[in-house]
Amino acid sequence: MVTRKQKRNNWILTIVLLIASLFFLFPVIWMLANSFKPDAAITADMNSLRAFVPPILNGSFLENYITVLTNTNFIRYMCNTLFYAAVLIVLGVVVNGLAGYALAKIKFPFRERWLMIIMLLMIVPMETIITIHFLIVAKLGLLNTVLGYILPMIVNPFNIFLFRQVFVSLPDDVYEAAQLDRCGPLKYFFTMVLPMSKSVVATVSVFTFLNVWNDYLWPSLVFTSGDLLSAQIGLNAITSNDNTTTGQTLAVITMVTIPVIIIYSFFSKQIVEGVISTGSKEG
Amino acid sequence: MSYVELKNICKKYKGNDKNSVTDFNLEIEEKEFIAFVGPSGCGKSTTLRMIAGFEDITSGDLLIGGSRMNETAPADRGISMVFQNYALYPHMTVEKNISYGLKNMKVPSAEIQRKVDWAVEILGLEEYRYRKPKNLSGGQRQRVALGRAIVKNQKLFLMDEPLSNLDTKLRVSMRNEISKLHRSLGSTTIYVTHDQVEAMTMADRIVIMKDGVVQQVGKPMELYEHPINKFVAGFIGSPQMNFYDVKVDGEGIVFSDGKKMKLPDAVKGKLQGYDHVVMGIRGEDIKLDSSNMEVYAECRQKAVIDNTEIMGNENNLYFQFGGITSVARVSKYEVSQVGDEIDFVFMPHKMHFFDAKTELAITADV
Repeated sequence: MVTRKQKRNNWILTIVLLIASLFFLFPVIWMLANSFKPDAAITADMNSLRAFVPPILNGSFLENYITVLTNTNFIRYMCNTLFYAAVLIVLGVVVNGLAGYALAKIKFPFRERWLMIIMLLMIVPMETIITIHFLIVAKLGLLNTVLGYILPMIVNPFNIFLFRQVFVSLPDDVYEAAQLDRCGPLKYFFTMVLPMSKSVVATVSVFTFLNVWNDYLWPSLVFTSGDLLSAQIGLNAITSNDNTTTGQTLAVITMVTIPVIIIYSFFSKQIVEGVISTGSKEG
Repeated sequence: MSYVELKNICKKYKGNDKNSVTDFNLEIEEKEFIAFVGPSGCGKSTTLRMIAGFEDITSGDLLIGGSRMNETAPADRGISMVFQNYALYPHMTVEKNISYGLKNMKVPSAEIQRKVDWAVEILGLEEYRYRKPKNLSGGQRQRVALGRAIVKNQKLFLMDEPLSNLDTKLRVSMRNEISKLHRSLGSTTIYVTHDQVEAMTMADRIVIMKDGVVQQVGKPMELYEHPINKFVAGFIGSPQMNFYDVKVDGEGIVFSDGKKMKLPDAVKGKLQGYDHVVMGIRGEDIKLDSSNMEVYAECRQKAVIDNTEIMGNENNLYFQFGGITSVARVSKYEVSQVGDEIDFVFMPHKMHFFDAKTELAITADV
């Protein structure tokens, strides 16, 4: 039974957390509200609470968005990024999943050492190896190509580790039953292992999407042509243009931010489940 | 010719000093139901897994249907297997679990449908057909696993402790269902269990194993009545056989607590040349009724009951005798209380004698 004191404490905790969450939400609310305003209104409202209130719905309500979408290539950049994310999700799940499966279930020499190396690679920041990636991609003549962008992004030690941690707890007898049902190793991976590990597949997919969507450094090095730019690079190109107003800048930032929020709110449960399940059993 | 032949099969895991299975020899006839039974770690599951092809055979030959199968892939050995933990595909419905193997075998879809309908019907799974394994009870899951095994029409069924995760009541009914299924399908079945009751009630022949070595192979009652060594005698039967270290003297045997028991000449004759043996007697061969007391008056003894187990259909009476806690299995009508003094006799012709050193039966035919 919840006592009176516990009830009071719950209320206090809820209020404190609400205030804390508002504190984190203020910049987002401000961005969203002002993305619908002309620059004059943004400046006028800056010192009042109206800065967090969107303007009244009228004919110019969506003007910033319409201007950005019609006068720039922003839709193309968004579509580019969605395409890169989709390709990298599929390839990432297959490649990292197969690597994780091998580390979890297939016996081969120095397996544990390989795992150790992969775990060590997790602590190496992307920035330290990006020059090497760049040089390799340049030598291969793949600069400013989709392949040049995608190739170094496929293998991800963290994702391999996540997959390995989940696969290690899959029962071996299911594989044995599948063998008797004439299911080969690759078919087993795609028709049994991945469906049995939906939460980690969802986690890796979401992480990959967020990684691609938010990535700035690597695409800024690889892409030089406007046609292939990703959303973040496009955002930079648009906002650094002198003709872009503050309202338009905020509209672009809102459009870049919203998919991340949507994806995270839809898949937060799976992400938590996936990450938790990776620590459930050590092989 | 036997359908399955295991010739000098040995299994040694890398890094182990000892064999997990040593010199396993067995011939299994077509349509026979064989049970491998023994305590944990005795090598019964390892042997089954070698037959299935999930473990390499270190040495020896495995023949199924006359063909050597040592290097053959599991799917090509003509076997179906039911696993201890069901090993169902968790993301598939009951129907898909059962039909998955058939689809991979490229069986025409109409035939698949017919077989799945048949399996679902005989296993009573109609109403669960579209459910996933997580929404089924243990017994229902085990039936799905059986269904998956039977639809493939394989000649050899391997079952690895399929009932060990079920509760006692369900285990009894599933035992019955598996036996009926075996008879109706006419397949050859190898059944691994650590439960001697399952082995006794289901199998045509039982293989008893200990430390990777076959101890005895025989029909259930052969093993029960004529165990080849003390291990088999103790493993088969519940409650376990009473074992006494006894000295042999001119008139009979002397127990470690000094009590003497005269034996008929026919029984004494078997002990010639022995000073010291292990005598074993089953609980039901210790008699408390007056008629047996008269017939075996020479073997009459006394003891005080220190515990009773009321089983409903019979009672187990525990008492100190011959230096050990002994148990007598008596009918439900022979009621005794803790603290009662009882007179009892050991039926001499039901006694088993084992060499004190080798533990081998001195004679299986006392």
